[in-house]
Amino acid sequence: MSNQTAPSPWKSLVELPANVWHSIFRNPLPSSDLGRASTSFTNFFLHLHPVKVHRNSLKASYTLGLGLISFFLFFILVVTGVLLMFYYVPSTTQAYDRMLDLRGTVAFGIFLRNMHRWSAHGMVAIVFLHMCRVFLTGSYKPPREFNWVLGVLLLLVTLFMSFTGYLLPWDQLAFWAITVGTSIAGYAPVFGKQIKFILLGDSTVGQEALLRFYVLHVAVLPAILSLLAAIHFWRIRKDGGLSRPAEEDALPAEMAEVQIVQGPAVVMATSAAAVNAAKPVLQKRHYGIQGLVRGPFTKVGNVPDRSVSPGRIFLWRSL
Amino acid sequence: MKIPARNAVEENGDAITRRRVLAWFSGFGLFGSLIITALSNLIFIKPRATYGQPNRFSIGKPEDFPSGARVSLDTQRVCIVRDGDKLAAISTTCTHLGCIVSVSETGFACPCHGSRYDQDGNVTGGPAPRALPWYQVSLAPNGEIEVDKDNEIEAGSYLRV
Repeated sequence: MSNQTAPSPWKSLVELPANVWHSIFRNPLPSSDLGRASTSFTNFFLHLHPVKVHRNSLKASYTLGLGLISFFLFFILVVTGVLLMFYYVPSTTQAYDRMLDLRGTVAFGIFLRNMHRWSAHGMVAIVFLHMCRVFLTGSYKPPREFNWVLGVLLLLVTLFMSFTGYLLPWDQLAFWAITVGTSIAGYAPVFGKQIKFILLGDSTVGQEALLRFYVLHVAVLPAILSLLAAIHFWRIRKDGGLSRPAEEDALPAEMAEVQIVQGPAVVMATSAAAVNAAKPVLQKRHYGIQGLVRGPFTKVGNVPDRSVSPGRIFLWRSL
Repeated sequence: MKIPARNAVEENGDAITRRRVLAWFSGFGLFGSLIITALSNLIFIKPRATYGQPNRFSIGKPEDFPSGARVSLDTQRVCIVRDGDKLAAISTTCTHLGCIVSVSETGFACPCHGSRYDQDGNVTGGPAPRALPWYQVSLAPNGEIEVDKDNEIEAGSYLRV
């Protein structure tokens, strides 16, 4: 019937490990800058970081890495926090004993709790220092003013996370700290008393307050913080990377004459990219490699363009 | 497929088109539901029932408090003062930031930030902005004393027992 014969079961079995291996590692390791750039560009996790960054961004003393440290601390807090949730009960009769059990009985409990505790203290301190760095380097100025606003919101959410977490051990320190803290909220003009009542769910710190603070601490605030942080990171890229002195962006005369000699035309996804490549490399230079890898590596822009504005067909505009 | 021109509205001038009416309705619906969502969340988060210490409670018979007694009830956060046949309930929640004040020789003292009050709850020192409130005390039909923390009364008004 056909010349093709089914491979022998034995041969299939022998090839199985290699098949599985090559199903996961589908491409050879990149050997060129272009290949490495395309790897970053087409990988979900790697694409978060730019393929090329400004020379200044590489200086450790430039930002002291405070923003990333904040993020890593938040990551530690999420991981240890989820693990602590397996053993903690937000009930006035159980919370304190559960906390003691986490310190004394649960395997690695004291390690997890201390990691959570010290990372929380650290995150508040580092976020504050991060804000100082941004202020002192003038990085809040346009075009980064919106990211500064996001940063202020992130600081407030971080402080509120710290405040809500403080009640959960349900010891004397926690109880009176939240009594005092919510009373301070009660001094707010006009709505103070109502804000305090809504925060506590009662007139004094009790079961309602513990449950409310727990839900805020483990669900509501982390969700808000994650969303804001995602936009915060996205804005860094959209605002042109980390801030730097304006004179750093003015290229020396000899570099302004450099032209891209590589970059075969077949690689170009769009005619616009081809035009850009033909021009002397100026302001866009820092992101040049990313422009080169677009075409063959992603489907976007590599398929016939028959898209229309969704507003034209889906929304009420077309009625 | 013929896609209608984007500037159809402009061509019609100021005439009220179907598109414009529908746009107005959907805009109204979207923003309306946003406002309703925000308001209903605010109403939802404010509890209608509380499960903590009730504001109106009984504290026992008058005989439980001999003359000259100043008994601080920490769970209810009141101090019961008995002087002869006069009886009163003074709040022990500090008016500064809500800690429980303790009974001292000169009146009341707050452990948190050092506010001082005299025997009647008037501020004598520290950051407290107001005097400790007095609460209405009444005799229930079963002969027990009932304190109502929702009703503040003038300092110095006693219940005769």
